[in-house]
Amino acid sequence: MRNLELRAAIREALVQEMRRDETVHLFGEDVAYYGGILGVTKGMLEEFGPDRVMDTPISESGFAGMAVGAALMGLRPIIEMQFTGLITVAMDQLVNTGAKARYVHDGAMSVPMVVRSPHMMHGNAYMSQALEAWFTHIPGFKVVTPSTPADAKALMITSIRDPDPVLYVEHEDLYGVIGPVPEESEGAPLGRASIRREGSDVTVVAWLAMVPVADAAASELAAEGISVEVIDPRTLVPFDSERVLQSVRKTGRLVIVHEAVRRGGFGGEIAAMVAGSDAVSHLKAPIQRVANPGVPVPHAKGLNRAVLPDEDDVIAAVKRALD
Amino acid sequence: MTAAPHDSLTVEDLREMYRIMLLGRRFTERALELAWEKRLPVGLHPSAGQEAVGVGACYGLRPGDWVLPSLRTTEAFWTRGVTVLQMFNAVMGNSGSINSGKESFHHSGYPELGILAGTAMVGAQIPESVGVGWAMKMKKTDDVMVCFFGDGAAGRGDFHEGLNLAALLKVPVVFVCENNLYFQTVPGTVGQPIADIAERAAAYAMPGEVVDGQDVLAVYDAAQKAADRARAGGGPTLLECKTYRFMSHYPLMLEDSRPPEEVAHWKKRDPITILGRRLEEMGYQDAATARAVEDEILEEIERSFEKCAATPFADVSTAFANVYAEPLEDMGP
Ligand SMILES: Cc1ncc(C[n+]2csc(CCOP(=O)(O)OP(=O)(O)O)c2C)c(N)n1
Ligand SMILES: [Mg+2]
Repeated sequence: MRNLELRAAIREALVQEMRRDETVHLFGEDVAYYGGILGVTKGMLEEFGPDRVMDTPISESGFAGMAVGAALMGLRPIIEMQFTGLITVAMDQLVNTGAKARYVHDGAMSVPMVVRSPHMMHGNAYMSQALEAWFTHIPGFKVVTPSTPADAKALMITSIRDPDPVLYVEHEDLYGVIGPVPEESEGAPLGRASIRREGSDVTVVAWLAMVPVADAAASELAAEGISVEVIDPRTLVPFDSERVLQSVRKTGRLVIVHEAVRRGGFGGEIAAMVAGSDAVSHLKAPIQRVANPGVPVPHAKGLNRAVLPDEDDVIAAVKRALD
Repeated sequence: MTAAPHDSLTVEDLREMYRIMLLGRRFTERALELAWEKRLPVGLHPSAGQEAVGVGACYGLRPGDWVLPSLRTTEAFWTRGVTVLQMFNAVMGNSGSINSGKESFHHSGYPELGILAGTAMVGAQIPESVGVGWAMKMKKTDDVMVCFFGDGAAGRGDFHEGLNLAALLKVPVVFVCENNLYFQTVPGTVGQPIADIAERAAAYAMPGEVVDGQDVLAVYDAAQKAADRARAGGGPTLLECKTYRFMSHYPLMLEDSRPPEEVAHWKKRDPITILGRRLEEMGYQDAATARAVEDEILEEIERSFEKCAATPFADVSTAFANVYAEPLEDMGP
């Protein structure tokens, strides 16, 4: 199987789905002529033309609402939010017009749209936000958080074909990650976690760019004789609860890692799930959360690193769990 | 003089427009009485006084066209064929409601009648309507989308973003601003530094027109012209219908902040009376026939409410259905 960068894997999914289904449209700022500020949609305008790959004005709320209307009429719009911070500008259209349409029509209408939410965490306090937990809070939205090129492609295909609004989170730090990607793909089911590394002492749940960070931490810990299991849930809604519970029953220790702010982050939900299940009786140590402690993401490299979780933070948390 | 679109309406059409407006008025009045008697939830923003806008703008629509009503465009429902029983059921929220009680009537959609449920976020339907228009254009139909909103909504960023996108993409959308001179308790002069919201159309290189919103035929003419242009690929239009609500913003807001002289002045321009008089002048209606129409409406309202009152509420399991196309296997942590 050939190897692809994650960025190219996403593009391949977009291109293949647009070839397969002419109702798939892509719009957003700079996605057409320039090919996306982060280069994901390069070359797509040339193949599909300006109606299907469309540069919009700076109108996040406008084109998000437009996507909802188009989706209600049977198109399958994909919108790029450029950087996740910008999604704040479109929240009403996504959360209200979009996510509630199926419910208020009692199932008679569907909103098959994908919202691409690129996390760019080394930028500034405004753009660099990890807001996936907001969407896990909204009934009607699905939340997809791939970390490998193969998952990025397969889950994008599934997201496009899904009849409901999907927040598809991409991570700039992962765009250059290279891995095997099948040429043909019919997608992969949502709600299936992946065990990135098997282990027996501590379970680490991480998603997006925190997966390779957790994996690197696990490698280092392995050298010290500590066996870490790394679970990548791949999607937060739906969430593969059972896979996490099974692992916790086995290891008795849980560390959750995400770049989003700890307070109100999805890690709290996972901790509460474990605490409310039979797996709690297997816990040998308090659950650890590694996350942004609750500050805007700073610009300067050193400050930025101090706020966002890294390998050392994960190692320290695993050791606390083993104490 | 060139022929106006309404010249080709038949006597039956005019009588039907009159009937729908009167039905809207009588339904609102009765629904409010029932609400005070606690036999129906207080679930509507009264359209009384503004009936001509919804009827005029929707009367000429065809199957395949869509509308997005504002919180107050009750007449869009009537004109597109929603029945009195369906409306009562929607207000009640019982199992006969189109959405099984998930939303009240002004946020209800009737896909088979070309009505999308409007959100509760004033003005958010404007960008949404652009997307509907975009899909119509991509499917190469000659359908149109009619998007209703109030003057208050014209203060929203979504108004600007939506109209800008609509003009750029030349979508077949007719924007109908129901300018009733107030947004909730606040006069329009606090919301807009200009007298006519229609003027803003120029900023989007789109036709804009001020319309007498109390004259159903004037609204019909303007809407038909805008729809014809949209169907022919000419893009969107902004119609501003000057109108006035005869009741308070919401029934529970008992105090009316508006000057009584102003209210009295506008009540002299009742859209139902205006069309009724025209029908009389043309010899199509007299006191007796008007009475017969009214009696039939009142009877239908009573009959429908009885049926509504006898309709059970949906099973509570309904509350949990249709959040997603397929229920989530794992609801998550
Ligand atoms: C975005 C938003 N802000 C505030 C409200 C509360 N609200 C409901 S109706 C209304 C007034 C709307 O005025 P207008 O658009 O002129 O319509 P009208 O009620 O006059 O028909 C307000 C402020 C809302 N529903 N949505
Ligand atoms: Mg108003």
